[in-house]
Amino acid sequence: MTGSIALLGQPNSGKSTIFNNLTGARQHVGNWAGKTVEKNEGTYTYNGTKYSVTDLPGSYGLSGNSDEEIITTDYIKSGQSDLTVVLVDASQLERSMFMLAEFARLDKPAVLVLNMMDVAKDMGKEVNAEALTKKLGIPVLPFNATDSKDYDKLKSLITDELKTPHRLIVPAPAEQKDVKADSKAKFEWVDALLSDVTQTEQKVYKMSRFDRIMTRPILGKILCIGVVLLAFLVAMLIMIPFMGVGQMIPTILHDPVDELLTGWNVHPWLVSIFSTMLPNVLYFTISMASFVFGVNIVFGFLEETGFLARAAYQFDGLLSKLGLQGKAICPMLMGFGCTIGGACGTRVMDNWGQRMLAMSIVWAIPCASIWSIIPVISGMFFTWWQTLLVCVGILLYVVVTMFVVSKVFSRKLAPQATRSGMIMELPPYHKAHWKHIIKEAFFKAWDIFKRALGTVTLVSILFYVLSFSKDGNVDNSLLYRVGTFIEPVTKFFGMGWQTFMAFVSGAFAKEAVLGTLNAVFMGDNSLMEATFFAKSASTDTALLGTAMSSAISPAEALAFMFATTFNIPCIMALSTTYKESHSLKWTVKVALFYICNALVLSFIVYHIASIFT
Amino acid sequence: MKLTESKADMQGRISAVRGDDHFMNRITAIGITEGTAFQTVRNDKKMPVLIYLRETLISLNRTDAERIEVTAE
Repeated sequence: MTGSIALLGQPNSGKSTIFNNLTGARQHVGNWAGKTVEKNEGTYTYNGTKYSVTDLPGSYGLSGNSDEEIITTDYIKSGQSDLTVVLVDASQLERSMFMLAEFARLDKPAVLVLNMMDVAKDMGKEVNAEALTKKLGIPVLPFNATDSKDYDKLKSLITDELKTPHRLIVPAPAEQKDVKADSKAKFEWVDALLSDVTQTEQKVYKMSRFDRIMTRPILGKILCIGVVLLAFLVAMLIMIPFMGVGQMIPTILHDPVDELLTGWNVHPWLVSIFSTMLPNVLYFTISMASFVFGVNIVFGFLEETGFLARAAYQFDGLLSKLGLQGKAICPMLMGFGCTIGGACGTRVMDNWGQRMLAMSIVWAIPCASIWSIIPVISGMFFTWWQTLLVCVGILLYVVVTMFVVSKVFSRKLAPQATRSGMIMELPPYHKAHWKHIIKEAFFKAWDIFKRALGTVTLVSILFYVLSFSKDGNVDNSLLYRVGTFIEPVTKFFGMGWQTFMAFVSGAFAKEAVLGTLNAVFMGDNSLMEATFFAKSASTDTALLGTAMSSAISPAEALAFMFATTFNIPCIMALSTTYKESHSLKWTVKVALFYICNALVLSFIVYHIASIFT
Repeated sequence: MKLTESKADMQGRISAVRGDDHFMNRITAIGITEGTAFQTVRNDKKMPVLIYLRETLISLNRTDAERIEVTAE
C-alpha cells in the first residue's frame, strides 16, 4: 500500500523546510498542468511503505483567483491526495489559522501541524494542542522543524491517519457573498476555536534594535547592499576548494588521455576532444555547481533568518518600476558578481513569472568577468579617462536594458492584473537550520551539475567543431571561413570577422574573449585552446594592444565592447537559467532577445563612434 | 484617517478597507479586516508602511495603504 499526502500552508509557515526534510533528494520539480506555477513532488519511505508528497503552492488564502489558489483548491477537491497536512505558525496562530478556515470548506481528511512551537515558546505563548484536537476532530501535532524526532512523530501520524482518516468536526465558516464579510466570518471562526486554546493579545510592538536600523530608509538600503556583497564573497569562499580540485582535472587528465588515445591510433580530432575539451567541460561544470552550492547556502541563510524580507521591504518601491518584487534585489546584486549566482538566487521569488522576469533582467547586469576584460580592451584604444567613460556608458546602458527587457517581457511574465503591490509579512528573525540549508544546497548543486554537464558538453562540441583546425592556425578553422564569409553582414553591425569571433566566444564564456582576440590577431594559440584554456593562456596585453589597434578602428573596438557586454551572459548562465525556469522556450526567447539587442547596440555604437573618429 | 497618515507607534483599529475583490482577498487573507486592532510601526516617506497586527509584522506598499482607513485608540 502507498499513500499520497499534500502539504498546505501560508508563505513562511515552514512548508518547504518540512517538504525538503521529508523527501530529501527524492524530489521532482515540474509545472502544474497548463500553468506557470512550480509543482514540487517527492517521496519518502517509512516502515517499508512508500509515500508521495505534493507541496502545494504557498498562498495566504484559497478564495482569491490567483493561479496558486485555484491549483491548490482544485487539487484538494479532486481527492488526488489521501490526506492534507495543514501547516500553521504557532507563533502567529490566529493569523495563520485562516488557512484552516479556508480548508474547512473543502471537507477532506486532514491533520494540523503547529509549526514553530519553539518560537512560540520563546515568546511565552502556550498552545493547548489537546483542547484544539477535541474541538477540531482532527489530530493536532505540535512541531519544531529543527527537531528530527518530530519528523518521526509526523510520519507515524500520517501512517495512522491514512488508515483511519479524520475530518474536521466543526462546521466550516458560513459562506458570505461579499469578500469582506466572508473573511470576517473566517476570522470569527478562528477566534471561536482558539478561545480557550491560546491567548492572542495585541501588545505594544517594540522593534528590535537591529530591525530598527534595517528598516531605516537610507541606512537600511546601504546595509542590505553590503550584506549581499558579503554573501557573494562567502559564496566565492565556499566555491574555492571545489574549484581548486576541478582546476586540476584538465592538467591531470590531459597527458595520460592524450598518450593513451594516440597510442591507440585514434584520430587527433577525437583525441583533443577527450584530452582537452571534456576535462575542461568537467572543470567548468564543477566550478559552476560549486558556486551554485555556495550561493544556495548564503541565500538559504538570508532567507531563513528573515533578512530577505527586510531587503524586499527596502527595495520594493524601486523594483516595482521594473515589474519586479522587492525580493529581486538580492539576485540582482548577486548578478554583479556572477550571472549564474543571480539566476539561481531568483529561487527566492514567489512565482514563476517573477522568477523568469528577474532572471532575464539579471542577464543585463555585467558580471565580474566582464568588468575584468572591458578595462583591458578599452585601455588598448583609449586613455584612462576615456576608459572610465566607457564604463560609465556601460552602466547607464545596463539601466536602459533592464527597462527594455522589462517592457518586452513583463507583459507576459508579470501581467498588470496579477501585479500586486507588496503585502507581505516580515517574519521574526529565526536561527538558521544549517543542516537543512547545507543539505538543500547540496541537492541543488548536484542537480545543476548533472543537467549542465550535458548542455555544456553539447555546446562545447559545437564550438569545438567550428574552431578546430588541423595545424592550429585560425585561418583553417570552420569559424574563420564562416566568419569571413559573413563578414559583410557583421561589418554592417560594426564588427569585422576577428571581433565578431571574439563576440561569439564571449557568449560561450566571457573569460574566453581575451584568449580569442589573442588567437585571431596574433595567431599565437589555436582558437580552441584560447577558449578552453582561457584562464591559463598568458595574454601579453601590450603586444595584443599594438596588434589590435593597428588592425581595427577605435569605433569597432567600442562597438565590440558594448556588444560583448550586453550579449547573452555565458553558456553556464544560460543552462542555469534553463534549469531554474524549466522552460526551454523562455530561455531561448530571452537569449534571442539579448543577441539581437547586442547586434543592434553594436550597430548604433559603431556608427555614432565613426562620426567622431 | 488613512493608514498612510498615521504616525509611527500609533495604536488603533482598522475602520474601513476599500478595493476590488482581488485586493480585498489579498488584504483580508493576511489578516487586515475591519475592526482589527493594530499598531503603526514605521511610516517613512516613499517607503512601504509597516504595521503590527494579529501578532505579525506586515509591510504594505503605499498605494494599498491609501485604501485603508484607521482610527487611533
